[in-house]
Amino acid sequence: MIRIENLRKTYRAADGREVEALTDINLEIGTGEVFGIIGRSGAGKSTLIRTLNLLERPSAGRVLVDGEDITTLDSEGLYALRRRVGMIFQHFNLLNAKTVADNIDWPLKATGQGNAAERAARVKELLALVGLSEQGHKYPSQLSGGQKQRVGIARALANRPQLLLCDEATSALDPETTQSILRLLLDINRQLGLTIVLITHEMQVIRTICDRVAVIDGGRIVESGKVVDVFLHPQHPVTRSMVAQSDALAAASFAPAHAYMSDKLRGTLVRLTYIGDVTYQPILSRIMAGAKVQVTILQGEVSSIKDVPFGQLLLELEGGEDDIRAVFAELDRHQIHHEVLQ
Amino acid sequence: MDLSVIDWSDIWIATWETLVMTGVSLFFTILLGLPLGILLFVTAKRQLLEQGFVYTVLSFVVNVLRSVPFLILLIVMIPVTVILIGTSLGVEGAIPPLVVGTAPFFARLVENVLREVDRGVIEACQAMGIRTHRIIFGALLPEALPGLIAAVTVTAITLMSYAAMSGVIGGGGLGDLAIRFGYQRFQTEVMVITVALLVVLVQIIQYSGDRLVLYFTRK
Repeated sequence: MIRIENLRKTYRAADGREVEALTDINLEIGTGEVFGIIGRSGAGKSTLIRTLNLLERPSAGRVLVDGEDITTLDSEGLYALRRRVGMIFQHFNLLNAKTVADNIDWPLKATGQGNAAERAARVKELLALVGLSEQGHKYPSQLSGGQKQRVGIARALANRPQLLLCDEATSALDPETTQSILRLLLDINRQLGLTIVLITHEMQVIRTICDRVAVIDGGRIVESGKVVDVFLHPQHPVTRSMVAQSDALAAASFAPAHAYMSDKLRGTLVRLTYIGDVTYQPILSRIMAGAKVQVTILQGEVSSIKDVPFGQLLLELEGGEDDIRAVFAELDRHQIHHEVLQ
Repeated sequence: MDLSVIDWSDIWIATWETLVMTGVSLFFTILLGLPLGILLFVTAKRQLLEQGFVYTVLSFVVNVLRSVPFLILLIVMIPVTVILIGTSLGVEGAIPPLVVGTAPFFARLVENVLREVDRGVIEACQAMGIRTHRIIFGALLPEALPGLIAAVTVTAITLMSYAAMSGVIGGGGLGDLAIRFGYQRFQTEVMVITVALLVVLVQIIQYSGDRLVLYFTRK
């Protein structure tokens, strides 16, 4: 669906210096995928997503959408591309002077799609899709933040795009509303087969709906891959610190338990990570039943990332070196990742 | 104060003339100033149709016209007015200098109002693949409508006071009356009444403008 090749973006700062906002970005995003880009503020994520519909023009490199290099499009081609690519925004960017229904109708009307009756039918359909059938006559100022973003989504879908760009779409919303908007996006992704690219600074967003993630820092992609892999086995320091700061994956950091336990520890401190079906099987009990090792669970989490269940446990193992090694061998056999911390 | 010396029919005619001068010149001020203001906005740096040269030229012309004091402009414009409508006197003679004096002022107001429109909204429209002229007329102007009405209100009041000033060079209306009777013939009563009428007219314009702004505000 999308291929970004050697993308670079520099701009001239107020004092005349060249600032490099994006450096050597390479990404591939598949059709129907929910792809997240996470980074701290100023990391370049917003600039990056805006190159996908050329709101931001790259300084070098290529951006291919459906095999077509969009950086070479003329203005007609660019209009056409933008009609195929929906976008939603952190601050919704609705037209305050138009009703909800007219906001959704606007991209259709302004690009000359269909007659009034056809458009009205489409608007009705979209209002129903985002759960706002009763709100069509209202003005945006009469809606809550979550409802405004629903209007934003309906408007972005009006032209039946194949790709939806979400620019910090939930960052201005409270956690509960964030979850409902994310559920809506996931529904749309599944129902319509829409490819979604989103940027966020919230781990929770990535974890809830993304299939794959890229971590961006200082204008470079420092890590990317499946969400479970990146979050459960973070490699880059930035990813690690983001994972550690996130409540969602508290077990990954083990900081509190670690500080409390460090002087009382007798055995070996081990972190287990397991993904998939194994999460809901009594493997640990089976392994431990046959082992001459005492096990204490210090901290743990069993949850899921999008649809993939995972578990993370911090264990203290007490026993002979050989016995512990035997336990490790059993863990390996069941594809449970283990890491000795101390 | 002896109100019996006042010829009321003169007063009502002058009031009507003031309203006509203000109304007609407001119409032409908007006709010229609105497109000029839109052009100033869209050609400015980092805007929809950034055109540095066009912006610089327009901005310079607007500034030049705005730096001429209106009383001077009234006099400077006399030959131009004669060419345009055959006379520089009366109600008709006042309209060209009024329009030339206020259109640049109104254009600047329009430019400022348009700058207040949320950039994100315009960007969202661009992201939808909407052509620039549709964005301007279908999104930018409707979003700015309350601000534009407020700008028209301010301009109408400025026009009314300028219209009164045109009495100095023989334009019609309340200003003419105040100068010929109130000032030159020492009829204080006429002066008081014309000022009072101007105050009432300005209040009415401001009040109506405010109501309209409120009516069209959706925030």
